Amino acid sequence: MRLSFAALMLIVGTIPAGAQWLDRPTPGIPRTPGGTPNLTAPAPRGPDGKPDLTGVWNGPVPEPRLDPANAQAWVSDLVGQRQRDYHKSRPSYRCLPSGPEADRFAGWKRVLQTPSAIAILNDDLTYRMIFMDGRELEATPAPSWMGYSVGRWDGDTLVVDSAGFNDKTWLSRYGQPHTEGLRVRERYRRPDFGHLQVEVTYTDPAAYPKPWGFTANMALAADTDMLEAVCERSSEHWAGSLSDAANRAVSVPPDVLARYVGVYTGTYLGIRRSIEVLLSGGQLIAKVVGAAGVDGGETRPLVPQSQTLFEGVGLGYQFIVDDKGVATDVVEIHVSGPYTYSRQRRPR
Amino acid sequence: MRLFLATLVLLAGTIPAGAQWLDRPTPGIPRTPDGKPNLTAPAPRGPDGKPDFTGVWNAPGPASRPDPANLQPWVNDLARQRQQELHKTRPYYQCRPSGPESERYGGWKRVLQTPAAIAILNDDLTYRLVHMDGRQLEANPAPSWMGYSVGRWEGDTLVVESAGFNDKTWVSRYGVSHTEALRITERYRRSDFGHLQVEVTYTDPAAYVKPWGFKLDMALAADTEMLEAVCENSSEHWAGSLSDAANRAVSLPPDVLARYVGVYSGRYGGNTRTIDVSLSGGQLVAKIVGATAVEGGLGATGLDEDAARVLVPQSQTLFDGVGLGYQFVVDDKGVATALVEIHVSGSYAYPRQR
Repeated sequence: MRLSFAALMLIVGTIPAGAQWLDRPTPGIPRTPGGTPNLTAPAPRGPDGKPDLTGVWNGPVPEPRLDPANAQAWVSDLVGQRQRDYHKSRPSYRCLPSGPEADRFAGWKRVLQTPSAIAILNDDLTYRMIFMDGRELEATPAPSWMGYSVGRWDGDTLVVDSAGFNDKTWLSRYGQPHTEGLRVRERYRRPDFGHLQVEVTYTDPAAYPKPWGFTANMALAADTDMLEAVCERSSEHWAGSLSDAANRAVSVPPDVLARYVGVYTGTYLGIRRSIEVLLSGGQLIAKVVGAAGVDGGETRPLVPQSQTLFEGVGLGYQFIVDDKGVATDVVEIHVSGPYTYSRQRRPR
Repeated sequence: MRLFLATLVLLAGTIPAGAQWLDRPTPGIPRTPDGKPNLTAPAPRGPDGKPDFTGVWNAPGPASRPDPANLQPWVNDLARQRQQELHKTRPYYQCRPSGPESERYGGWKRVLQTPAAIAILNDDLTYRLVHMDGRQLEANPAPSWMGYSVGRWEGDTLVVESAGFNDKTWVSRYGVSHTEALRITERYRRSDFGHLQVEVTYTDPAAYVKPWGFKLDMALAADTEMLEAVCENSSEHWAGSLSDAANRAVSLPPDVLARYVGVYSGRYGGNTRTIDVSLSGGQLVAKIVGATAVEGGLGATGLDEDAARVLVPQSQTLFDGVGLGYQFVVDDKGVATALVEIHVSGSYAYPRQR
């Protein structure tokens, strides 16, 4: 039995145990009579009467689905290649700036707004500037990691146009590339005190025939503060690929595989998570229930490395079986440790 | 002849050829009658009446060097060890944040000031935040790369106190360490429209006998813009050390060395650079003329602009000088006519001056 689990997909920013100002009440925000932040109060406005987006914000990861019909052939090829390489060249895994990547619209950020410029500060210590002083984007900008951004107000909506990105960044963690011709439009709206919405549109005809995008929802992180989460370990030394795993694959009879099919539930990073294991085309597939499946992202083909051990796109899956060979649990093996998910009884 | 010139010390941020808004007149700044920025006009003030430091600023690296006599022995030992390793673990060379390092006060930065917070944005895409909302530093901050900073006004001077640094950063590029207990006081003053002064004091009794620091003058970068300069190639694969160079050293007779003594002058990075090669204790030493030499181990360390480099012979004409190569070009009598300084960015020839 060969137990080489090659690449390690999970990079968790180090969150220090204690930190500064995490429990400090945010001054100057509206509160309910009970003293809790009133997140549905009206959005604040600056001296110029425009909505003020200043604050610490947090949001879930958007799920920008790649529509294969809306990708040039080279884009689909590169997405496949990056998946086979376990996405190890993703900029954030290499400790490089994420630039316009959709996932960068999630997580922690601090916005600092003045009438002439808005800074968006990320917890990985990168930042963007949005110029509000009336300047226009120039025609042939020098490619950069964060691009060049200018903003204007359309009523209470902040419209930001960006260009001048290098082609080293991705548009999603699933490996979608872009060219230096990429343009990004963002429309920010703060409908009330506690909520910020951004509608993001990527336009890059050399990569995607039609513009596409997503909406990200952020919530004000009141009475706390944002912490640094600095990348210190680059993926440079990650080893292995999907084809390595395929080369090590062993053959497991279909009736053995069938005994692993089912739904497994457990706790991962403090959150309840369900994994559905299916048999499809003679191959086991693990799917995180509820997560959107984008081209191999949260749907993982399981390549058998032994009768009970499988490789699933850089994660290990070890089935624990009873004396009849029927799975009772699956252990998901991350770099951060193994996580056990118990099999749920079939509904009768 | 072994041509191993080991480590490559010069990391230049990639500056793109063309870029956005580099020639755009900065709006809303005072100008002289001929349209040039009036950098001696009064400093602008915010709605709260306090000076407003918002703008793009640029400064030379601070000239001050830590005094070895003021460093605890372990700090001096570690600085020597780091010098031995050609400073490859300097956070900046590893593509990590520079945190409180004094060199980070030089170069390009953008300040964005609001009444509740001031952001200081660096061209390497790191930033600091100075909270102005009256909060106090907490007692046991979790160590971080950029520290935690709070500011207050003393008249027209902004006083910033910082703590909560991790001990991975350096306070100077000469390899001077600090502990997690480091505290920094900065005093910022915008004396007029075009000038910002900062006085920085490092306090860390476990590392320094007395608080020490430096002053730096920043100039407003008007009618231009700051460009990204993101570190992409970490020093991880740098090879070699000072002792490697010493192990490869060959022995040269003093009369050969004596023929290389002289002053060499040429162009480096767009500027004229003059290198004084002298013989000291039987060893050749290259010194950039005009750079300050400092007594003791720390002054002779160094990176590009540093004072003095001991040249370790690798052949009759090729020398290793703290990670840079020095190749003497000689005439038929063996007398040097030029000196070629070999950087990672290329070779720079300096003809010998009569």
